[in-house]
Amino acid sequence: MTAALRQDEGSDGPPPQPIFLAGAAGPLFCLHFVPTPGKTPRGALLYLPPFAEEANRSRRMAVLQARRLAAQGWVVLLLDPFGTGDSAGSFHEARWELWLEDAERAATWLATTWPEISVTLWGLRLGALLAANLAARDSDRFSRLLFWQPLLRGDQFITQFLRLRVAAAMAAGEKESGQELRARLEAGEILEVAGYELAPGLVTAVSGLRLEALLPALQGCAIDWLELSTAGSEPALAPSSRRLLDSLPASGGPRLTCLAVSGEPFWTIQEITLAPKLLDATDAVFA
Amino acid sequence: MAVIDDVKQVLGETLQLGARADGFSADTPLFGAIAEFDSMAVVTVVTALEERFDIFVEDDEIEAEVFATVGSLADFVSQKLKA
Repeated sequence: MTAALRQDEGSDGPPPQPIFLAGAAGPLFCLHFVPTPGKTPRGALLYLPPFAEEANRSRRMAVLQARRLAAQGWVVLLLDPFGTGDSAGSFHEARWELWLEDAERAATWLATTWPEISVTLWGLRLGALLAANLAARDSDRFSRLLFWQPLLRGDQFITQFLRLRVAAAMAAGEKESGQELRARLEAGEILEVAGYELAPGLVTAVSGLRLEALLPALQGCAIDWLELSTAGSEPALAPSSRRLLDSLPASGGPRLTCLAVSGEPFWTIQEITLAPKLLDATDAVFA
Repeated sequence: MAVIDDVKQVLGETLQLGARADGFSADTPLFGAIAEFDSMAVVTVVTALEERFDIFVEDDEIEAEVFATVGSLADFVSQKLKA
């Protein structure tokens, strides 16, 4: 039992080191996974988590994947962005620009701590948009990205996020609409949504994000784009992803390798859920 | 496939109900009756239904009556498909 558990956790390597990095607006909590002693590090990955509650629901998948990659010789840094997890700041103080700057600082820390290896940006959902945005600003520096279920449009994501409050109001026998909530945000109000204090500045920045608009700037970047597919049939990319990928120009832009595997959308599920095939597929990308 | 079967499948997948969803009938109560059906689950179910049926749900349509039972949710989707 213990042995099986250990194997499942991939914990043959050293335990991760909890560290605090100097962020632009306060200390940032990170978990630093290092390769098994004796292995030459092959490269580093910086994990950028998804938004709000999705980050908590995904934490176990991120930790498991980090351990497995470390066992394959990769350095992995899991970042708690400013205002989230154990990092400094409150959620309502978080800003997209700050998250970009802090992610860049974390990448610099990795490059300084592990000279001579390159840093791959690994993002889940909104974290993938953050990775794409950061790489688009500095494509000479970031030449490899890993997307897990990337969000395609920030505005749609905000609409869905605001629905959490609409649904909670429904449960309380009240009625609110996304339109009304947006109007209050536009008027400068901080809104509480599903326990998170949502600031207008962050909403505006996220709403303006389009993966489609960021990808052309990633010329020469290699992107591995992995998605989960719950349907019982053959795993396939979501139709919206397919449409986006088909609309990209045939030349220029990043080199994309896309793959769908079957599994549950663990970032939405209350009970901590794993997607073993996503872990396997990611292992294979970095094998 | 009848709409209700598709709705049961979406519920089973998004709420991680496994075989429990197969035993659902139109009368099975949902919101407030199933522990997994929190407000995040409501949003996940709505998003999944939009994708599955290619429909668009307005925020003011997200109301308790719609999510009362499996049958009320299936009726809501059927109405949307006719619209």
